[in-house]
Order: sequence, then structure tokens, then C-alpha cells
Amino acid sequence: MRPAPWYRSWRAYAGLVLAVAVYAYGWHVTQIRLGELWRGAPLIRPFVSALAHPDVVTREPAVQRASGAFYYGGEQPPPAVPGPGPALRLSRASGAAGARAAVHGDGFTPGRAGTLWWENQIGQRQPLAAFRTDAQGRFDATITAPDVQGTRNQIIAEVTTGYGPLRPSRTLVIVLDRMVETVFLALMGTTMGVIFAVPLSFLGARNLTGHLPAGGAVYALTRTVFNLARSIEALVLAIIFTVWVGLGPFAGVLALGVHSIASLGKLYSEAIESIDTGPIEAIMATGASTLQVIRYAVVPQIVPQFIAFTIYRWDINVRFSTVIGFVGGGGIGFVLQQYINLLQWPQAATALWMIALVVAALDYASAVVRERLV
Amino acid sequence: MSEPILRIEHLSKVYEDGTRALSDVSFEVARGEFLVIIGLSGSGKSTLLRCINRLVTPSAGRVWVDGRDVTAASRDDLREIRRGIGMVFQQFNLVRRASVLTNVLAGRLGYVPPAWSLGNYFPAPVVDRAMQNLERVGIAEKAFGRASALSGGQQQRVGIARALMQEPRIILADEPVASLDPALSHSILKYLEDLNRKDGITILCSLHFLSLARRYGTRILALKDGAIVFDGRPGDIDEARFRAIYGERAEEVEVT
Repeated sequence: MRPAPWYRSWRAYAGLVLAVAVYAYGWHVTQIRLGELWRGAPLIRPFVSALAHPDVVTREPAVQRASGAFYYGGEQPPPAVPGPGPALRLSRASGAAGARAAVHGDGFTPGRAGTLWWENQIGQRQPLAAFRTDAQGRFDATITAPDVQGTRNQIIAEVTTGYGPLRPSRTLVIVLDRMVETVFLALMGTTMGVIFAVPLSFLGARNLTGHLPAGGAVYALTRTVFNLARSIEALVLAIIFTVWVGLGPFAGVLALGVHSIASLGKLYSEAIESIDTGPIEAIMATGASTLQVIRYAVVPQIVPQFIAFTIYRWDINVRFSTVIGFVGGGGIGFVLQQYINLLQWPQAATALWMIALVVAALDYASAVVRERLV
Repeated sequence: MSEPILRIEHLSKVYEDGTRALSDVSFEVARGEFLVIIGLSGSGKSTLLRCINRLVTPSAGRVWVDGRDVTAASRDDLREIRRGIGMVFQQFNLVRRASVLTNVLAGRLGYVPPAWSLGNYFPAPVVDRAMQNLERVGIAEKAFGRASALSGGQQQRVGIARALMQEPRIILADEPVASLDPALSHSILKYLEDLNRKDGITILCSLHFLSLARRYGTRILALKDGAIVFDGRPGDIDEARFRAIYGERAEEVEVT
């Protein structure tokens, strides 16, 4: 007899109604409002455009500068000492807010745009006027003294004559520095995981514990510890460790380490459980000692897998250590969070690109290495 | 007649799960015999071979190899007895990720100083001997490749070269051709035959096919349910005996 088509079955309709109810509730509790994607688009646009212009390189401007003093409150500035290069001459060197003065500049590069700045006693600047130097490198301007705090002011003329060579921006230097910290954070966390997981994994392998007294209990205990430790997200562990050892990469190392012990331990145990007993039997039959049997029949079977799992774990840990900084665990996540909070999108874009490139490169490298091993 | 190279008396094996693999098996093997053990799957062939080098510990009975009691041997004595007994396996049992040469050298582990071998160091004469043995089985050019890269027939030849490293007086071959293409069976068995005739190595070999057993064995031992049901020359197995070994409904097939 042919089974009835699905649309004849009441179960199909019941299932359909149930599925609709589940997804409707899910839509409700997760507060999905697709309109927000449209409404919020302008807020995220600067970030998206910053992705195309990350703050990676910068050029130092070459600036010609000359200044003259202008004091308030009746005090007279010391007379200017004439030197080589550009110079400023002021029609008056003292006065009060609102006073007008003629400024004459000389010795600048001809035909360049420049800016006149007013700088108060504590180094705060405001622009006074823009000018352009003539064919002899001179300019003339008239300024009005602004209303500022303090008495000893400077009038500064700056002409940008060109730009120096491209060099890495400050952001790039910071981000690189933190990325190195991130990669090493992952390395140390993974290493800690390996050191503890290797011996523990032998206790978590059923084929080995089977021969021990109380082996079943040892096996069950080890596996339970692995599973419990693995079920706690490393981010949560990081928060706990920042309380314990303070903010910084060490907390991150501990968090990744504990998480890695559990995951690696489980993977290693399974690798040990899956070894082929044939070679063990064959090496035993040659009259080899127990140590020789381990060296020639067991180790060659598990070491490549152990290495492959370890590289895989390091790979995951690098990815993870990029966010562990969000909770104070060190690494690039810390600066990324700062940039985002301060809406410094070009800087945030630099950090994001750095994460993407480094993680992708390590991902590729680890895949190549693992392929060769297994 | 000289002392038998192998003497087995009242050998029995009951596994922990209650399976009775061997019951009261006794026989002797003279030097230079090519003894083929036949029988259905589960008749006790593998257990019998493994009791001889104590990869399986017998439940009762005794085994003497070259006059030495295997069943009562201490750990160190057992290692020394084992290194004189080569073994070849159905699944070859090579370390697949290691090189062919390392697999062959592993056959020498019972002789070399343990500390050296743990660093994967073997004296030059041992390496030379390994190469000679690989040449003898015709795959010296594969010495530095991985064992996993070889075909089944080639892996079994590595298995034979490994056994030869032990300079064995006996080779135990547990279904050495059961995992191979039937066409390759002869090439492997001819190597064993050659070792038996030219080097005087006693061979105990379990086989599935009676035709192969007849072709290579100088003597055939048949097991059924862990007991010997036939012990004699290949020519003596007639239709009635065949049915006694393999069951009433069996039919003989040829492997050529």
C-alpha cells in the first residue's frame, strides 16, 4: 500500500501550526524589528565608509613657522631676537582684547597658503586669518586680538610647504602592538592547555583506564571535568580571572588556558581511544619492551593528531583572544572597544582589518600544516 | 628424530566473556615444516597462533618453543622468546604514518639497546640488514615512503621484512592473505615458502582457502570449535574430511 500523501495527514498540519507558533514567539521574544535596519542605517554609515579608509598610514606635513608675542595687561614682551628663516613683524606687541594689529611676514616659501593662529598662555589655539604668500615670500594681514584668558599670547604664522613620506599611523602602531599581544595571548593559553591536557587525556581514554583499578571512575571523573569546564564560555572565565588576577592579558591567558585544557583533553582522549591496536600487537610480538611499544606503536599514531588538534585550538584561541579584551582580558579587543565607544571609526576599521587579516592568515597556515600532518 | 621446535600440550583458552576459543589442543611441529592451519572463522586459529608467543595468555596447557616453556616464562624471558618468533598479520599491522624503513627496523627492537631505539637510532649494520630484507621482498625503493602509501600486497611484504629482522626460527602468519586480492595471495605465500625452503624457517600459517593450504602446506591442521579435527598431509583431505571441517553444506572453491 502506498503511504498517503503528506497533505492528507493531520500530523503534518499539527506540525505546521506548531512550527508557526514557535517562530512567532521567537520573533516576539528576540524583538526582531526589521525597520530598525533601515532607520539606523545613517548611524552606521560612517563606520561602513571608514572600512574603506582605515587609519593605516599618515604623512607628516612640513611646516614653516614664525611667531611674535602679544601681551595683555600692560606688560611688554621681551624684544624679538632676529634669526634666520621666516619672521613676523607686528605693528604692536601689547594691548587688550579687541585691539587691531597689522602683521607682516617675511622669508616664507613664495606662493603658499598659510594660517595665522592666536595661542594663549596655556597653548590653546584659535585661527585668526588665512593668507597667501607673494612671489617674494611675504604677506600682510590685519588681526583683531581675541578675548582670552591669560596675558602672554603668541601670534603664529604657519605655512605648509609639503608632505613627508608615508609612514604608519599611530593607530596602526598601537593596533599592531596589541595584535602581537593577542597572538601571544592565544599561544600562551594554548600552551597552558597542552601542558595539562596531555597527561589528563590519558586518564580520559577508555581503552587505557580500562586496565587500571577503579579505571571506570577515573574515566568518568576526567570526562565530567572536561565537559563541565568546556560548558563555561571562555568569556565568562575571563571575567572571573580579571577579578582574581586583575585586568590584563594574564587573565586572558588563564581563561583561554582553562578552556583549552577541557577542549584539548577531550579531543586528545578521543584520539587515544581511536588508535589501532594492530601495531601494538605487532611490536609486542617482536620482543619489544613496554617503552619501545609506546615509542613505536602508540606515539606515531597519536602525535600527528595531537599536533593537528593543538594547531586547531590555537587558531580558535587567536580568534577568541580578539574579543577577550572586551571584558578586560587583554589583547586587541580592548582598543577596539575603545575606538567603537569613542566613535573613532577609522581607527576601529584599522583594528577590524588587522583582526580579519591575521586570523585569516593563521587559519590558512594552520589548515596547511594540519593537512600535511593528518 | 630431533627435538620438535614447537610442542603444545593440552592448550585451552577461555576468554573473559566466556567464549571458549581452544579446548585441549595438543600437537608438535618439527623443524622446517610449513604447517597450514585451516578452519572456519571463529574456529580458534588466531587464538592458537597468539598463544604460541603469548600475545594471548592461555587458560590452561603448556607451550614449548625450542625447548623453552613460553607459558611459564618471566617478562624478560618472554621478550627473548618472542624475538625468535616472527609474526605476520592479516591486517599487516604496520604503523601507517611511519616510514617503511622504520616499520622494518621495529622488527629489531628486541635486540637493540632500548635507550638507543627510543631515540629512533639504529646501528648502521641493522639499517643495512633492513634494506637487504626489503630488497628480498622487492620493495627496497619504497623504504623512505610512508607505509600508508603502499598497496595491501606491498604492506604485507613490509610485514614479512619486519618479521625477518628478528632472525626468526618460526614465523606465525595469521591469515596473511585474507585481506588481499586473491591474485596477490600467491606472491605473498611464495615469499613464505621461499623462507621455509631456503632459510629453514618453520612456518605456521592460517589460511581460509583449502586450495592454498594444499598448494603450500607440508602438513595441514584443521580446527573446528577450538579442537583439532584433522592433522595430516594435504593429500589426505578428502570430501568427507572437508565436510567435517567446514560443515555439511560447504563447497570447495579454487583460488588460482
